[in-house]
Amino acid sequence: MSNQPTGAQLVISTLKALGVETVFGYPGGAIMPIYDALAGSGLKHILVRHEQGAAFAADAYARATGKTGVCMATSGPGATNLITGIANAYMDSVPMVCITGQVATHLMGTDGFQEVDILGLTLPIVKHSWLVRDATDIPAILAEAFAIAAEGRPGPVLVDIPKDVASSFVAVSGAASFPEWTAPAPDANAIKAADKLIEQAKHPLFYIGGGVEMAGASAELRALVARTGIPAVSTLKGLGTLPTTDDLFLGMLGMHGTRAANIAVQDADLLIVLGARFDDRATGKLNAFAPNAKIIHADIDPAEINKLRHADVAIPGNLKTTIERLNPKVIFAGSGGIQKWVEKCKADKWEHRFRYNAPGKGIYAPGLLKSLSEKAGDKFIAACDVGQHQMWVAQHCEFAHNRSHLTSGGSGAMGYGLPAGVGAKLARPDAHVVTISGDGSFMMNIQEMATLNRYNIPLKIVLLDNSSLGLVRQWQELFYQENYSEIDLSDNPDFVEVARAFGLSAFRITHRHEVDGALDKLLAAEGPTLLHVLIDPRENVWPLVPPGASNAEMMEERWDEPLDSY
Amino acid sequence: MSHLIHIELDRLEGSLLRILGLVERRGFNIDAAELYDLGEDKRGLSLTVRPRDPSRNTEILGLQIDRLYGIRRLAGDPRADSNTPAAESRISA
Repeated sequence: MSNQPTGAQLVISTLKALGVETVFGYPGGAIMPIYDALAGSGLKHILVRHEQGAAFAADAYARATGKTGVCMATSGPGATNLITGIANAYMDSVPMVCITGQVATHLMGTDGFQEVDILGLTLPIVKHSWLVRDATDIPAILAEAFAIAAEGRPGPVLVDIPKDVASSFVAVSGAASFPEWTAPAPDANAIKAADKLIEQAKHPLFYIGGGVEMAGASAELRALVARTGIPAVSTLKGLGTLPTTDDLFLGMLGMHGTRAANIAVQDADLLIVLGARFDDRATGKLNAFAPNAKIIHADIDPAEINKLRHADVAIPGNLKTTIERLNPKVIFAGSGGIQKWVEKCKADKWEHRFRYNAPGKGIYAPGLLKSLSEKAGDKFIAACDVGQHQMWVAQHCEFAHNRSHLTSGGSGAMGYGLPAGVGAKLARPDAHVVTISGDGSFMMNIQEMATLNRYNIPLKIVLLDNSSLGLVRQWQELFYQENYSEIDLSDNPDFVEVARAFGLSAFRITHRHEVDGALDKLLAAEGPTLLHVLIDPRENVWPLVPPGASNAEMMEERWDEPLDSY
Repeated sequence: MSHLIHIELDRLEGSLLRILGLVERRGFNIDAAELYDLGEDKRGLSLTVRPRDPSRNTEILGLQIDRLYGIRRLAGDPRADSNTPAAESRISA
């Protein structure tokens, strides 16, 4: 046996040298040399039960910590199972390094067993990727992969390593480093121009995206909002960047945004867009979006500025520095001030606040979620799945901090919630991490309950079960003449029994009076626990901007009962 | 309207597919492509592209190309001038 390390050993030693603590993965044929080197290496590996779970868990680990998430899979189906997770990280700009095994070099291109061109398949959904041809390159490639994943606008990076490369002995040791990237500073003249526009505006509004959180600029943003007194709305990914209870925070904008947020956007004469990209779910009909507003657009990615909406002032570069340096002298009171505008925004927020006095005795999911976040408090982290419950979380949960609302935004990937909860709880064991899922989404990665059990990860799960694909059903009801097509999931298994079979604690509630006690019991539970909540399948998410409509055209359903507290 | 884009590629696995895929995915037809050697592990690529609809912005395409690693947009044809600088935000029309 050679005294030299193998390529696989270099992978493990380089990961450790780069500060990686946790890797999510699943072994298989082509990646066996790396798993051989992993055993006894001291690097923590979480064995998931499906590679998609590894990618989602690594994604959430990254979102919850700001560190780069790492996942591994073998070639062929192992690698293709990562793809949804890679796309998810790309769409939401999450730093992630994905290591895949590949068939041996001499078999590549011969349709070898479990061979797939994962580099080619993932080209559109990675920041960069490598196929490693020489094991001596492994330390340098991995160091660069981590640098690229985290720098600028973060994203996923793929490193594909053929089995023979991982098995070969190389005269290289130690880890390479890669020069630290510095975000370009914003242009001082652009900052001045932005200050001037803000000072001139009568109806200014902050439009906060996920880029602020990723820039580590939450504190700077809070200070900017406080010193200017300008109201703010946020995207789905921006939730928590400002405390959702902040007096000046009007809520999420867009398709399922609050009425106050969408009214403010439509009435604004200036949008100060920070780390957002004018996503269609946020803007609705683009040419009717904020029709009277000038735009200040600041983002680390210059390709996002002017992509969909012309920026009157463009500020590419370091978003944290931009927010620190913005210092307009905003006049509040008097005829030239913004006081009336701010008061109108606050009045709209009050008038259109969410009600929790839903008729009947059934469980009202928005009320349950609001209570859940209040009970969990400052240490609440929501790992959401995708569907109606995801929008209810965005609308009704309170988030005091950034990195506390983990959701599949751009990709909208059902199945994200449970593995995301695994990753988030491992990253933040001190926090009340709760996966909030629906019966459709939960079934897509239900196997990860085995991961919770194996590692005794005390994740809490709230499963909102309406026995259907609720958001699809809602659209079929509203926009497809109630032609319900393939949305019935009433043959779901008994989720409590299934959870128990996986080794979790589990219990069910069906009536509103049970909610309070159930949430207390869930949050106090020591191990992984599932709360199965039966809700009315006819419940819809309101408000709603119909597809293709302006955000001014919100649909809403309200009831007339007195405004009792939930 | 067609636009001519000059690009320098490092000789990295997938770099040609990466750039061609990006251009098409972002809503542009590739009407002509010419690949040539620039020495020292570099290749040149000149693409004639045409937006599929009027909403596609060639300036933004250029910035999206700039985001790629090992791929640089150039200000002019590198075969005409071996010292052609990388483009900042220019695409010749």
